[in-house]
Amino acid sequence: MSELTYRRMKDLPSTHLLGTGTPMCAGCGGLNALHQIYDIIGEKSIFINAAGCMTLLSVYPFTPFRGSWLYTAMASAPAGAQGVRDALDVLLQKNRMSMQDDMQVVVLTGDGAAYGMGLSATSGAMERDLDFMYICYDNEGYGNTGQQYSGATPHAAMTATSRGPRGFPGFKKDLFSIWSAHKPAYVATVIGTEPLDLARKIEKARSLKGPRMIIALSPCPTGWDYDPQDSVTVGKLAVRTGVWPLKEYVDGKVVHTKVPHPRKPVEEYLKLQGRFSHLFEPQRDDALINEIQAKVGAYWEDVDS
Amino acid sequence: MYRIRFHGRGGQGMKTASRILGTAFFLQGYEVQDAPRYGAERRGAPIFAYVRASKDPINERGIISQPDLVIVADDSLVPVPGAGVISGIDAHTVLLINSDEDPDTWKQRLNFNGSLFTLPVETEARAELRFIGATCTGAAARLLGVISRDALTQAIRQELAELGDAIVEENLSRALSAFGLMEAHAGTVNAGSVVSAHDYQRPQWVDLPFDQARISAPAIHAAATSIAVKTGLWRTMRPLIDYEHCNRCWWVCSTFCPDGAINVDDEGYPHIDYDHCKGCMVCVAQCPPHAIASIPEQDAQAADNEEARA
Ligand SMILES: Cc1ncc(C[n+]2csc(CCOP(=O)(O)OP(=O)(O)O)c2C)c(N)n1
Ligand code: SF4
Ligand code: SF4
Ligand code: SF4
Ligand SMILES: [Mg+2]
Repeated sequence: MSELTYRRMKDLPSTHLLGTGTPMCAGCGGLNALHQIYDIIGEKSIFINAAGCMTLLSVYPFTPFRGSWLYTAMASAPAGAQGVRDALDVLLQKNRMSMQDDMQVVVLTGDGAAYGMGLSATSGAMERDLDFMYICYDNEGYGNTGQQYSGATPHAAMTATSRGPRGFPGFKKDLFSIWSAHKPAYVATVIGTEPLDLARKIEKARSLKGPRMIIALSPCPTGWDYDPQDSVTVGKLAVRTGVWPLKEYVDGKVVHTKVPHPRKPVEEYLKLQGRFSHLFEPQRDDALINEIQAKVGAYWEDVDS
Repeated sequence: MYRIRFHGRGGQGMKTASRILGTAFFLQGYEVQDAPRYGAERRGAPIFAYVRASKDPINERGIISQPDLVIVADDSLVPVPGAGVISGIDAHTVLLINSDEDPDTWKQRLNFNGSLFTLPVETEARAELRFIGATCTGAAARLLGVISRDALTQAIRQELAELGDAIVEENLSRALSAFGLMEAHAGTVNAGSVVSAHDYQRPQWVDLPFDQARISAPAIHAAATSIAVKTGLWRTMRPLIDYEHCNRCWWVCSTFCPDGAINVDDEGYPHIDYDHCKGCMVCVAQCPPHAIASIPEQDAQAADNEEARA
């Protein structure tokens, strides 16, 4: 299929494949991205899911998936994907399955697994040029266990394990670059609040072979502490402020697919979220806000140059 | 021993409410257990929390099946079977329901003759919901009669300290005003007797025969079975599309609904699946011509009932 299936908003699906009735929080930004992604990947797929919020999608006897789903330990989803891909290949080789019935092998994990515990298994899978898709829904913390910090937590965010007056002292890891350094077939960042950009990228990933790696920033009302109705607003602001750059790595090049211009001040994004409320109350912490703004500015300066 | 059960929705602070009550008991010199219970479900889904308090060591464990006091933070949970609000209540149980309807209406509805109190709902604003826990705890403390104003105050300060002074004071003022509201009913709750292990009744397990892994492994053989789960019961607000104002932009509400609970028909009109809409209100916030309104679920249900009767 060509990249041009999704040219306009109206080309996006109007009915949805992923089943309703899941236990994800009302307003879950991860689920918003997943249902859009699933519409494009389709039911001929096997999801390999590491422990995290989305494990709860399939709690016996309920599942929203129309194809298969398999659960693995937190660090091992890419290893699980290798096993599944190998099994499918054996079936194909022995003519016990036709090419038409072949399935997309899709790893689905949170950021805790992708940026941390599962990074080694992911590196191995890319090294072996495993033919699979990896979808990391990034809610910037260990959401399922109460939002402890992870390798994806942004600087200054309050988490269950970063309670000081300045929040999380570390910085969000650049997983996009870490993954790209392996030179896989495809790497992209997406977000459910930019549906067209997301659809094009998933469509492209689907058409390629080898490791295809997707990071979806996933606004999380529960872990980020905002009213669920603001979920899409928060996601749009992540892009408009430049906090979440939308880009792809393909054929050895990084291309930004949506450059926010002009960029809104990051505080518009931060202000909506309880996890950053200490930047504004009881006193405004200009130093910290400026520090965050400067980092975002420096990123885009690099892009422009 | 006092056995207290809290019912609320994920996000309404029942876990914190049970902790505050537990700490208040502790400050009064009681032995205490407090624990929340939740399953796979999230924000909006029914949540339970339990408090046991006794002057003697507590040997009981697990969920509370015969409560002395039941606190319901969200009255829309009462008719939800999975919430188990009325499970195990008898004439000695005291019920405290956060509801605008009066106690007699509830007694009649529940066919319940014991003591039942309602706390007037202070607000419909969703952002204010976070204080329900404190309000309920304040009222509960007074109904128990053994918790002083000071102990309640200290417990709130202690348990909420992390949230900063402004939030502590807001919770405190709500809790103390509810504490005052129940003054005339102080001590209505009676502690239940201690049950001995001897009287323990085993749960009614269903015995399953031993089968081969191929049969007994928890494999799901059908597609999208989650549709059988009615997450529409989580909703406290209902989105309502005004078709005269919907300009059939086609994708906004349907694409952004996290749950995929809005499908668009051939003519381009969106339809909300109320069996599954969780009431996040994302569609309300995002619809470009503001064609989706949000109304309290209870009012919507009352209107539905009216319509059915007419
Ligand atoms: C090896 C291991 N350590 C800890 C856990 C407990 N655990 C289950 S889910 C989870 C959080 C996972 O975080 P993330 O991958 O970001 O997914 P999220 O919960 O945010 O969706 C943790 C720590 C586990 N399952 N396995
Ligand atoms: S905690 Fe966050 S990521 Fe997890 S289900 Fe809830 S909203 Fe989604
Ligand atoms: S977003 Fe609003 S205008 Fe667009 S289809 Fe939905 S209800 Fe209609
Ligand atoms: S409120 Fe709207 S966006 Fe949220 S679940 Fe219901 S239909 Fe979907
Ligand atoms: Mg996470």
